[in-house]
Amino acid sequence: MQTILVVDDSPTIRRMVRTALGSLADVTFVEAGSGLQAIETLAVQPVQVVVLDLNMPDMHGLDVLKFLRSHRQYRQLPVMILTTRGDEPSRDAALQAGASAYMTKPFSPAELVSSIRQLLGAPSPPRHV
Amino acid sequence: MDDYFAEAEEHIIAVRRSLLALEASIGSNLPLPVLEELFRSFHSLKGISAMVELREAELLAHEMESCLRLIREGHVAVTSTNFETLVDGAKVLEAVVVAHRSGQPVPPVGRVLEQLESLARPAATKSAVVRGSVGSGESSKAGADRAVWRVTFTPSPELVARGVKVDTVRSRLLQIGQVLSVAPKVVPGGGVSFEFDVETDRDQELATWKEDGLTYEPLRTGLNAEASESDADRNSGVTELSTVPEISQGIATSGRTNFVRVDLARLDDLMRLAGEMVVTRARLEATLQRVERHVPFQEWRDLQEHSAGIERQLRDLREGVMRVRLVPIGEIFRRMPFVVRDLARDTGKRVQLDLAGQATEIDKFLIERMMDPVLHLVRNAISHGIEPSDQRIAEGKPPEGTIRLSAATAGESVVLEIADDGTGIDVQDVAERARTRGMSVPDGPIDARTLLDIICAPGFSTRDEADRGSGRGVGMSVVRRTVEELGGALGVKTEAGRGTTFQITLPLTLAITDAIIAHVGEHTFAVPQSAAREVIEVETTALRSIERNELLAYRGGTLPVIRLAQLFSIPVQDRPRFHAIVVGTGLAAVGLLVDRIAGQREIVVKTITDPLIHVHGVSGATELGDGRLVLILDVFALSRTARDRPHQIEGVSA
Repeated sequence: MQTILVVDDSPTIRRMVRTALGSLADVTFVEAGSGLQAIETLAVQPVQVVVLDLNMPDMHGLDVLKFLRSHRQYRQLPVMILTTRGDEPSRDAALQAGASAYMTKPFSPAELVSSIRQLLGAPSPPRHV
Repeated sequence: MDDYFAEAEEHIIAVRRSLLALEASIGSNLPLPVLEELFRSFHSLKGISAMVELREAELLAHEMESCLRLIREGHVAVTSTNFETLVDGAKVLEAVVVAHRSGQPVPPVGRVLEQLESLARPAATKSAVVRGSVGSGESSKAGADRAVWRVTFTPSPELVARGVKVDTVRSRLLQIGQVLSVAPKVVPGGGVSFEFDVETDRDQELATWKEDGLTYEPLRTGLNAEASESDADRNSGVTELSTVPEISQGIATSGRTNFVRVDLARLDDLMRLAGEMVVTRARLEATLQRVERHVPFQEWRDLQEHSAGIERQLRDLREGVMRVRLVPIGEIFRRMPFVVRDLARDTGKRVQLDLAGQATEIDKFLIERMMDPVLHLVRNAISHGIEPSDQRIAEGKPPEGTIRLSAATAGESVVLEIADDGTGIDVQDVAERARTRGMSVPDGPIDARTLLDIICAPGFSTRDEADRGSGRGVGMSVVRRTVEELGGALGVKTEAGRGTTFQITLPLTLAITDAIIAHVGEHTFAVPQSAAREVIEVETTALRSIERNELLAYRGGTLPVIRLAQLFSIPVQDRPRFHAIVVGTGLAAVGLLVDRIAGQREIVVKTITDPLIHVHGVSGATELGDGRLVLILDVFALSRTARDRPHQIEGVSA
């Protein structure tokens, strides 16, 4: 069983992400509505992958990411940035800060699933060449 | 100057939002962060208004700021009278800015300034301390001996299970003072802790929280220069407060450092340039096809590759520009709570406003033009839709009416809904009124489309008297025209006694779109990709005629089809088979019969604005690479034609 932490200040987006990722086998979800809550959640329970919004109250997603990357325990933790078009800094800035993947909202459920599957290390479905 | 207006508008929007939040907590504990935000907004407004020498705005902002400082510090309680004064102040301030922007004479500010001053005066002179109204519950000696403490909280699974979390810790700290900042820290040896910098004089309470994983140490002791300075300030009442406490300095500010404000016209220029490049590239492509025979294969293939590269990059460029233009639709919604509040008060009705999907993004150009139509529909919902409370109770409904504003993205469209749970539209009554006004109304049951046609007819109104909230019947026709001019569609659903829903469907953005290009005889048409569901091949023998309409068996049901050749009177030879482009969904689905599909490509939409050449079923034109004009089909209008107006099809095809 693998745990996915969904961080977004909008409960609707959190629900949409969970719904989209619901097709993955053997996963459970935890949610956080702010950057601080996210860090707290990571501190108290094991999480295998994080889906992180950028523009949130309290603590910007990029700061959460930078914090995680400065922490030995979370340096390898896969973090996908999922942000609204328009308020994202450049994709480069996010990747430079250590994002494992980057996607904009509105997102395609299929793409989200395949990215998260990759981040979870599960083999992706065979690609036809 | 434009920068001033842009920023002033942002602050005014923030002020509206904060005031609403404040209203909800009149009489109970006031949320300190909201007061802080209001205070900051007025502080900034004062500063920028002073920069552009808009004296009235500066004065107003200054008075508002003074009042808020007194409220924040607990010297003045927020009663509903005081609150109205604040709201009035905010409204006049907005009016001043708006008037200045449009070059109108600035409205008088004297009266509201006096009110604001009298709100602030008793507190300043008598220093009558009204306590307990501010959530922080600071002591009356606030400032004199307040120290800053660093409180460290280390979460653990046990604590979280007991409900002790970073959020609960913060709200506890807010009870005893001001949280200046909060930041996560790495604990040596693994783990995470949170550091809160708290300004408080009730540190003795901190000691009692030790078992909840909280430790604390002093950062700065009380009686420092800053505190006594603000204390002196408060006694003089209205002078400038030198230290605006910045809640959440540090981490929270990093989010707003990298924004650039751009004049929309510049983005329009970029979009137009990108559009022209799309056309030029299409010409290049056409030329490439022509010269293929004359150029050595290797050379030609290189050219072809470069051309394909340009196409990809153009697409990226276009998406990039488009993304910059998208803004959350919340900008429209944010204004509505004020409108609803005012109208509900004027009409004596009780109305609650639900908002959903504020984050849905839409082109800035559309936002500005949708403001008035949405405003109008909301006003209508209150004045015509929602019933008075006693009537609602009598009908077994909750006494408070609900208006729901929602937005969602559907494919390349944005759908806006304005729904009320009021009385619904009396369709028969509307039909009667229309007939007495000499409008032609079909007999029998009135469907939604006809209803919309009636209520959107210029001059039609269900009210004999115009009232303040909803005008004299010019509104709905303007609403519909605005929506349709923007390439959208207006819909209505109503149920007697249950309410009415207006639905506005808008394209996500304008200008460039993907389209299916199809030929009919010698002519070429474009169908927006966002409207087309699929393309199917149809044998002529599979078409069935019913009452002079042609139908096609389609996915277990039937699909009405329109022969474009007939509709536009294009001479064609009989064909054994056609292609049908299926557009629309559900009951509005229709198949457009064409001879050949030429492919799929990006087109630059030029809306046809000349009223003389307005043709039913055509929404605009585009040019392809060869310079020929191609008409873009208005699929909304066509599917309407097919479903609701069989007689019109006959008229056209006859």
